[in-house]
Amino acid sequence: MTTDKCTNVIEKCIDLKGSENCDDANMVDISISKDVLVIGAGSFGLEAAGKIAAQGYSVSVIGVKTACARQSGCSSEMLETGKVNIMQDVAIDSLAGVTGDFRAVLIKTAGNGTGCNETGCSEKVEKVFGAIVVAPQYSYSPLNKKYGLTLNDKVVSQSQFEAMLGDSESQKKILNSNNGNGSTVAFLTGFAQEGDPTLTSRVLTSALAVQNMENCNAYIYAGNVKVGAKGLERLFTQGRHAGVVCFKPSQMPTIEQTSTVEQDGNCDHKQVSETIKITIKDPVVRTDVELTPDYIVVEEALVVGQQNLDIASTLRIDADLYGFLPSNNVHRFPAKSNRDGIFVVNNSADAANTALKLKELIGNGIKKVAANKAKVDEDRCVICLTCYRSCPHGAIFWQNGAAAISQVACQGCGICASECPMDAIQIGDFTDDSLRTSIKDAVVSAKDNQKDGQPLIVAFCCKNSAFEACEAATQFGHEMPQGFRMVKVPCAGKVDVEFIMKAFVEGADGVMVAACHEGNCKAERGNIYAKWRVNEIQKRLEKMGLEKNRLIFTTIASNMAKEFAGKVNAFAAAIQ
Amino acid sequence: MIVAERKPFDEIRSMVSNYKKVLTVGCGTCVAVCLAGGSKEVETLNAELNLAFKKDGIEFGAETLQRQCDMEFLAELDNKVDQYDCLLSMACGAGIQFLAERFPNKPVFPAVNTSFIGVNLDVGWYEEKCRACGQCVLAMTGGVCPVTMCAKSLFNGPCGGTNKTSCEIHTDQPCAWFKIYERLSGQGRLDQIMKISPPNDWSNQKPRKVIQPGYEERVKAMNS
Repeated sequence: MTTDKCTNVIEKCIDLKGSENCDDANMVDISISKDVLVIGAGSFGLEAAGKIAAQGYSVSVIGVKTACARQSGCSSEMLETGKVNIMQDVAIDSLAGVTGDFRAVLIKTAGNGTGCNETGCSEKVEKVFGAIVVAPQYSYSPLNKKYGLTLNDKVVSQSQFEAMLGDSESQKKILNSNNGNGSTVAFLTGFAQEGDPTLTSRVLTSALAVQNMENCNAYIYAGNVKVGAKGLERLFTQGRHAGVVCFKPSQMPTIEQTSTVEQDGNCDHKQVSETIKITIKDPVVRTDVELTPDYIVVEEALVVGQQNLDIASTLRIDADLYGFLPSNNVHRFPAKSNRDGIFVVNNSADAANTALKLKELIGNGIKKVAANKAKVDEDRCVICLTCYRSCPHGAIFWQNGAAAISQVACQGCGICASECPMDAIQIGDFTDDSLRTSIKDAVVSAKDNQKDGQPLIVAFCCKNSAFEACEAATQFGHEMPQGFRMVKVPCAGKVDVEFIMKAFVEGADGVMVAACHEGNCKAERGNIYAKWRVNEIQKRLEKMGLEKNRLIFTTIASNMAKEFAGKVNAFAAAIQ
Repeated sequence: MIVAERKPFDEIRSMVSNYKKVLTVGCGTCVAVCLAGGSKEVETLNAELNLAFKKDGIEFGAETLQRQCDMEFLAELDNKVDQYDCLLSMACGAGIQFLAERFPNKPVFPAVNTSFIGVNLDVGWYEEKCRACGQCVLAMTGGVCPVTMCAKSLFNGPCGGTNKTSCEIHTDQPCAWFKIYERLSGQGRLDQIMKISPPNDWSNQKPRKVIQPGYEERVKAMNS
């Protein structure tokens, strides 16, 4: 009930937010397909599908293995909506189009992940989707080596142990390990890697299951434990109440894995018995605490499979540093990818959030968007594809012999405009003409106020960081040179070579390009492009016989007012 | 632009005669402008091939891409080539090779001979202007290319074979260095002709690459 209330409030907020600044004259209606594609039929993919179907949209779920087959994830509720179509052994072959109108080519996979088998290749079908949800299915790799352990029937990975718990024969083995006296099971987690809530949850669930078995005891040796997910604290408490013992030593426990070979009369018949001993130092009582468990369960690392990387490259979405989807961006809603209309679901919260965001995106199938976010001059465009290749949001395509920019997918960063060799792209509030005027005005106004001996500085400031920092610096009264002026840009990636040169030509003594910190660019790579460009212009300045330190690139965050003023003053001092 | 000429029909015919389904792929940029491999030439060639192979029942498909030297445009064929036994490209040598790279399982045949980098003199009439030698000397030769126009591609000329305005190889062939002399003298820059240009390094040529300034880091990032 409360949840419903919350959802209503959130939906209302979304509606309100969507309606702000709706100057009808500059808005266009764009139709958005109400069909959604979910790639990945694991439990989270199916959970997302169910929630999206509940919003009234048709969902196609594709995947090689569906969680339905394992009787989990496919709720009857979801299937009864009649809006979820599960397509087993279907993969995505290629993707064209943009948000609202993605054209996906789907292919039957013959169970081997490709569209081909001995008898030939299966047929492909093209379908239109308004949005795409990826629910990646990662695989696991045991981290026994990091603990110096060899896997065998006593030292098992978390996945192997979960399989044992699900198998009645193996369960009996665990119960009868010590001549019918139950087993002691030790779990090792959080020493070999950073860990995450999903891994914590698996360990806690298994430990509780062991503890609930007759005469069995579970011990958890935890290094770094991540408990920031729904229900994890409760699961932990449940385990403690049931008698699960948890150790959190500051160092990885010392583990001895020794096997002894006992030979009976027959030479061919060897009996190998193994003992494992875990030792930790208790910091309170200052003695060693030893345990010789019957089983050791070692943690596993998530592994990004080639399949996930292939999906990412087909969809043209970025992965993070480790290959996981989506890439990190603090400005972006967590389940969103760098392309509008493509979401990534890694857990239940993502599934719920994606369903909400989809409602915001698709609505009733018509979306009002600003018509002038980015415009292509079709007469100038030579379809060199530079914009298509540099757009971080995958918002550009081409049709009728010219580049075209989706007004829904476009985020207005202007990277395409600054890269276009024909100046064929103009960005809504930041056209080339208006920026040239801003540069000129900045120099003129700086000249009027400039104090004798102080340099004239023009700073191109990203509106997401440096612009805010500069405004704050002014308001907080941090002193900056009188001859300092800023030019607001939608992203540092919009700063053209031409603009920087124009600032010098107009009379600036120094030019500063102030971008967001690395890894913090709203447009993913705008700051990197700006840095490359500045480096290149510095070389050119040197060749022209000018001092290259008259141009600097710097990064700043929006809350760094004092630091911003400091950087400007240092720059002024350096070029004075 | 890159100028090409269609190959003799017999040569094209013999290349595709052993296949059942052939896709003729045109290119909408340079070879279209020089009237060798655009969509009109694709249709014409296919009509000729259809007539020639009427009895053999070979089918000819037609596609003309914006450019065959950009992978994104080649990708437009991804879902189409499966139905064909071979591809007949009307693009320049660069386009043909990129097409063959994209579809390594399909035999790819050239339907044109790539001739040169040149200019349009009139409809259907082209002249070579540049050999892409990678060491442009046009600044000191008054905008006349000796690599292209001189039979010996001399960087310093003329040679002893200059013959009353023409080249020793033929009276129809103007001497490049005579033209250079005329151009420079008209501009009052004859001192230029006395300067010695060091020879170009023609040895051990391998495929060249160009990375425009400012894009080195991008290329590095793409390759890592």
